[in-house]
Amino acid sequence: MEDLIPFIPAITILVGALTLMFMSLSETLKTKHFLIVSSLFLIIALGNSFVPFGNLYTSRPFNHIFNDVLIFDSFSDFFHVLLIGGTLLTILIGEHYFQAKTYFKGEFFAILLFALFGMMILANANELITAYIALEIASFSVYIMVGFNTEDSKRVEAIFKYLVLGSFIGAFYLLGTVLIYGATGTTNFTQIGEFIATEGNNLDLVYIGITLLLFTFLFKIASFPFQSWVLDVYRGAPMLITAYMASVFKIAIFSLFMRVFISDFAPLQDYWDSIIYVLAVVTLIFGTWLAVNQTIIKRMLAASSIVHTGYMLMAFLSLGQNIASAYATMFYLIAYLLSAIGAFGLISHIISETKVRVTFADFKGLAHERPFLAAMMTIFLFSLAGIPSTIGFIGKFYVFTETINAGYTALTVLAIIATIVSIYYYFRLIAMMYFYPAPLTCEIEGFNDKRISTYAVAFIAALVVWGGIGSAIVFFIPVPNIDAIIDISKIAVESLFLK
Amino acid sequence: MSADILTFIIFLPAVTAFALMVTTKNVQAVRNIAFLSTLAILVLVLKLYISFEPQAQMQFVTNTPWIVEYGIRYYIGVDGFSLTILMMIAILIPTAYLLLWDGRTKGYWINMLLVQTGVTGTLLSLDIVLFYFFWEVMLLPVFLMIGIMGTGNKVFTTIKVTVYTMGGSLLMFLAIMYLGVSYFNEFGEWSFQYDKLTQITTLSHTERLYCFFAFVIAFGIKIPLFPLHTWIMDTYKNAPTGAVFLLSSIMAKLGVYAIVRFMIPLFPDIYVEFSTYFVCLGLFGLIYFGIAALKQDDMKRMFAYSSASHLSFIAAGIFSLNSYGINGALYLMIAHAMATGALFLLVGLIHYKTGYKTISDLGGLAKKAPILTFVFAIMLFANVGLPGTNGFVAELLIIFGIYEFNHTLGYIAGFTVVIGASYMLWMFQRAILQDRVGEALKMSDLKMKEILGFAPWIVLVFLMGIAPDLFIDKFEPTVTYFLDDILKIGEVK
Repeated sequence: MEDLIPFIPAITILVGALTLMFMSLSETLKTKHFLIVSSLFLIIALGNSFVPFGNLYTSRPFNHIFNDVLIFDSFSDFFHVLLIGGTLLTILIGEHYFQAKTYFKGEFFAILLFALFGMMILANANELITAYIALEIASFSVYIMVGFNTEDSKRVEAIFKYLVLGSFIGAFYLLGTVLIYGATGTTNFTQIGEFIATEGNNLDLVYIGITLLLFTFLFKIASFPFQSWVLDVYRGAPMLITAYMASVFKIAIFSLFMRVFISDFAPLQDYWDSIIYVLAVVTLIFGTWLAVNQTIIKRMLAASSIVHTGYMLMAFLSLGQNIASAYATMFYLIAYLLSAIGAFGLISHIISETKVRVTFADFKGLAHERPFLAAMMTIFLFSLAGIPSTIGFIGKFYVFTETINAGYTALTVLAIIATIVSIYYYFRLIAMMYFYPAPLTCEIEGFNDKRISTYAVAFIAALVVWGGIGSAIVFFIPVPNIDAIIDISKIAVESLFLK
Repeated sequence: MSADILTFIIFLPAVTAFALMVTTKNVQAVRNIAFLSTLAILVLVLKLYISFEPQAQMQFVTNTPWIVEYGIRYYIGVDGFSLTILMMIAILIPTAYLLLWDGRTKGYWINMLLVQTGVTGTLLSLDIVLFYFFWEVMLLPVFLMIGIMGTGNKVFTTIKVTVYTMGGSLLMFLAIMYLGVSYFNEFGEWSFQYDKLTQITTLSHTERLYCFFAFVIAFGIKIPLFPLHTWIMDTYKNAPTGAVFLLSSIMAKLGVYAIVRFMIPLFPDIYVEFSTYFVCLGLFGLIYFGIAALKQDDMKRMFAYSSASHLSFIAAGIFSLNSYGINGALYLMIAHAMATGALFLLVGLIHYKTGYKTISDLGGLAKKAPILTFVFAIMLFANVGLPGTNGFVAELLIIFGIYEFNHTLGYIAGFTVVIGASYMLWMFQRAILQDRVGEALKMSDLKMKEILGFAPWIVLVFLMGIAPDLFIDKFEPTVTYFLDDILKIGEVK
């Protein structure tokens, strides 16, 4: 029975998804009920995944059934907490948005939990085919969610672009798997790792296979040259799904590829280092260029997420040189998760009751209408721009320091320049909110500020500020310091090497 | 407990600001409480100033871990150098409150409080990441002040000044991280304390040069040094008086201070190597900005140039490699902060009351407002460096310093002071004195509150001019110790 314990979070999510699916058969239930039920399941799963949180362990339960395809360790637990927590925050911050938009039917929440289930299994996968199946469960759910926005004529373009390209890149993944299998005779990561370690030469097929796997990775995290879908898909998707794809989904992808690239495939890292180096450079430049030119806020945030992908790639690249950049990557994932969900979620909260709020100009004078929301938005934008006293600053500090430590100083210089430009496009929005008078159609009344979404926004903002200041100085507040995150990610990475 | 006094001084304004933000909407209450908290800080700083032993070492040090993983510490302390500037800030800010008293919004006062936390934090940080933290944070309230209360093309101005200064700071951030990594590779542990970073020996000359210039760009933008000054004209013209006062009187000084605190100890050899260039650059800036100031019609712009001109002079003093120059530069920082701060506030007052701030629109104020004219004249003379005022002592010291550094440059420095005198006096004659009838005559004289605000400054201007020893004694040991140390290292390397 003890073997069952690690499965509890994933099974909870699966049961939750099925429950929601059956619930959606009923005509009488409202969105509110789905929200409550899905949050309940998420909270249970989160609580369960917190049980072993911070312990160093690795286990492969029911090995005779699963034949080593699933692995449960501190690393996967770390990502489970992030994924479930991210989904929960998405739901809470979107409480207003989901209820305001009529197209969010019950099955949406079922699909959301299915997507989460796929991502969680992705973090556990110890084998290429399992990873593929988990990836496709998550991807297909996300494809459907992208198309939910029936109000927007762009949704068809968004869903088809993403579906077709995503499936195409999935085929690359399969081809890569086949080639690796052809060379090594196995699809298990551990055994592939052993093969690589023992067979010094004769690895051509493995090289090609890994390159093809890398394509999938780069596509899903929207790195150059696989970024062309991002703007249109992010634009067409419902606001919160955009946030979900940009943060939570990206984290899931990183969980798989960090696992293999840190431990099993590590001996080959010289090979892809040069590829990722070039791609990080181009991603930073291209993302920055895109972001500067946007007039629609959502597209700006989407484009800036490409820049953040560039920062993450920098840290990912440094993995080969020093293991500390794994912690930096994980910290940055958390930082970006909080800031992006906060920013996207807050905008979705605002657009729930008004139709506009799409372009920069629509945000003019927001600070006079809703000073609280404008202040929260400012915190999130500061965090995205990496201004001190927010978690984004500490994240950037870690990533840049580790990149310099790995010897990529020139790349860091480029990243700093990208950050300087990013101040321009983030501060432009702050300027819009604060420096213009409120428009004549001021809507002070009729906006209910006392609801879960608002509290969720404030909670995330508090987390963002906590992550930037920590509790070492403000010692009277009983919360762990920022170091705790690094400590936990250390344990997580350490567990990858337990055999 | 005495060690925590600095923490208290740093964070009291911010705590007050956050408390006021959520508790009251009454502008008067906000202003009064904010004023009281700055007075409380003034008292604390006075106590600190008196109990400070004039020695070279850091005093009242607090050093606790902040981010353990990367060895970043909450490391603050004060020496003669920072104490003098701390004293200056503590005096300037409450008196500025008195002069900005009426017609402000709640946000204005809260931002003023936040700025005070930012600047004192920057001043007292000895861990370089902590320093960077405050350095960036102190700009944000000013950003809001310019954007919300500014005039003219304020949005463009705000974005420009933000991207400009933060761009420079980020380059410095890069250099900071590079130093941190070098320290880690050499000693096997992370640390960003400035006294530890000075122990790095592995960096090559080229690497140090790059880091040095990254720092120069960050600080040079704030000061502003000659080619990095293009943000100040729009900003000083469009920003509200309070923000201009903060930028010119306090933040610009922190740029100079940071050069002395971090850059020179970290790169003593490069400091010695490039000192000639920087003295020349400073003198060039002095002349260039002085001539530009002559041509201005808008008084705020004129003072912007004049301020830049003086700060270039201060920078020249800093790079003159001897104790005359550095003592003089520090002294001029204080003198200039008072004089320029007062002049900006007076122009703000004139603008507020008459609606004009261009020289051609003003004139004849002397008749309507004799006390204002009197204060204006004193501050102007202090700024020009008339004997008997603090400006004189400071400029004399710097000229000595530069003369000792290089005789030719010393002669040039001596003559350039004339430029400052000419634009200032010419402006004074046209804008304040001359007989004219016009709109500007609805100007009323200073009120009691405003006179009270200026009184300590006027006293200090003369006291510092007549008995400079009282003040120099506090920071001279630091400067001497510091200079001996640095020059030794610089020559060895």
